[in-house]
Amino acid sequence: MIEFLVRRAFISAVTLLIISLIVFTGVRLIPGDPARVLGGTDADPAGLEEIREKYGLKDPIPVQYLRWLGLALRGDLGESIRTRTSVAWTIAIKAPITLELAALSLLVAIGIAIPAGVLAAVRRNTVWDVLASSVSLCGVSVPNFWLGIMLILLVSVRFGWLPASGFVPLAEDVLGNVKRMLMPALVLGTGLAAVLMRQTRNAMIEVLSADYVRTARAKGLAQRAVVVRHALRNGLIPVVTILGLQMGALMGGAVVTEQIFVLPGFGRLIVEAVFTRDYPVVQGVVLITASSYVLINLLVDVSYSVLNPRIRIRGAADGG
Amino acid sequence: MAGSAASPTYPVTLAAEEPATRGGFLQRAWRVGRRRPAAIAGAVVVTLFVVMALAAPWIATSDPVRTDWAKIRKAPSWAHPFGTDDLGRDGFSRVVWGARISMQAGVFSIVLAMAIGVPVGLAAGYYRGALDQLIMRLTDAWLAFPFLILAIGLVTILGPSLVNATLAIGLGATPTYIRLTRGLVLSTKEEDYVQGARALGAGDLRVMARHILPNVVSAILVQATVAIPTAIIAEAVLSFLGLGVQPPAPSWGTMLNAAQQFLEQAPWMAYWPGLAIFTLALSFNLAGDGLRDVLDPRDY
Repeated sequence: MIEFLVRRAFISAVTLLIISLIVFTGVRLIPGDPARVLGGTDADPAGLEEIREKYGLKDPIPVQYLRWLGLALRGDLGESIRTRTSVAWTIAIKAPITLELAALSLLVAIGIAIPAGVLAAVRRNTVWDVLASSVSLCGVSVPNFWLGIMLILLVSVRFGWLPASGFVPLAEDVLGNVKRMLMPALVLGTGLAAVLMRQTRNAMIEVLSADYVRTARAKGLAQRAVVVRHALRNGLIPVVTILGLQMGALMGGAVVTEQIFVLPGFGRLIVEAVFTRDYPVVQGVVLITASSYVLINLLVDVSYSVLNPRIRIRGAADGG
Repeated sequence: MAGSAASPTYPVTLAAEEPATRGGFLQRAWRVGRRRPAAIAGAVVVTLFVVMALAAPWIATSDPVRTDWAKIRKAPSWAHPFGTDDLGRDGFSRVVWGARISMQAGVFSIVLAMAIGVPVGLAAGYYRGALDQLIMRLTDAWLAFPFLILAIGLVTILGPSLVNATLAIGLGATPTYIRLTRGLVLSTKEEDYVQGARALGAGDLRVMARHILPNVVSAILVQATVAIPTAIIAEAVLSFLGLGVQPPAPSWGTMLNAAQQFLEQAPWMAYWPGLAIFTLALSFNLAGDGLRDVLDPRDY
């Protein structure tokens, strides 16, 4: 158990280190003087000198990397070229909006996918199964930004039920916040729901033919009890793994969704930063998203090994 | 695959079985096709889109980038079945030409991903050891960048254009192929016919190219049919964000970007490009499901 955790944590640490190397190298690949890249084209000579000093740009590259990494580990991701505020602070302000969007989308996705997937598996090869699978296939194929535009067209432009864009902080106006988050969460949740539904269906089909399910049926348990208490619990294990792996797609999807619904989160921040060549912000956002992805999946794996002993044995057996 | 079912006693004759596999492929395709009309429909629609992309100059009714101030945001009509956009350009012609860009980005990015990912995965799975460890750790780190965030990062460095968007999407999809190929190689290389080939003195390259690759290629192709629609959507997203194809080139993504500003006045600008992406992606997925049945009947 301990060995598995240590091993898993070690691999994650190596991954994080490589991620930081990739991000560091990426910024160095941008043509031009690194001080200008980090300081902006309108930085004065004194400002440039300050940046050279801070990041040790006159030192050898490996020393520069270590210095940059040390600063990043202490939460110093540099300064935004455009606003001259700290990148870490900017991200900290924007993150809650994206996190709220992601959390609501997850709720939408799970709320649709699990019941639909279970239904499709239990009523395998019936109209329900075909219907659920078809809807799921459409969900995978539809570009979510187009879905968003169509929703705005129908719900906001045609019927005027919900505002098309904008953001109200949750703390200020709960109803206003939910009204503006509903469509984005629906749009972002749909794609994820489609993927999850397929996984749930496949996992449930496998579990429903397992011996212990047959035993549960044989001892006379009602269908509902068999499905919910015996099959679903085990069937959900692979689904949660997929959920962890889908976090990347969710973060990417948030970028587009925030753009369509004009939500001032993480995703809008990075797109604006790209257009204004605000490299420190791009670097910070990329570094933070990739790192959180690794950490989320580490947590998923660890929580599993605690819940299910079989996984930690298998995990230790096949190594990394 | 016929390969794994063949008698393990005469492993080196496997290559000679190629024609039989082909005949089997067509027969199986016919059987699967009859059972799954949706897959056939998907394949037909994909073919139509390919034809549309290749024959765009002849299908489009007018120049997709010619602006006409007298025809700004006109609703669909006989002359302009998909309406006109905010610069008076013909919507139908732009959607037709857009197929070319989408297909280019979708297909070339996945070809790039396979061109890098398959050899690297092959080497990792075949040689194992330190090389494998190094490749897999790099792959894990690469996979940790969310696809779109990675693409945005790359486009920031390279600058926005169709070629760079294709590169970014391709590089984003590469680790999937490394992992997939490596996994397939790990199981294939223990097969008797591979061991046999090695016993007969075949070199590493020969074993990989003649004995392992042909047996893993179908799974890789199936993955490609699933990856292409994702890549097509990714190109549309990047162009929608302004990070891919640059105006005035007719990409479905850039068209939707323009459409979003005129949702109330000209909703038709938003219908067709999105419907085109959806139809193409759906058809690819349907055809891909069918292809999986044809190439890998063991799963079903």
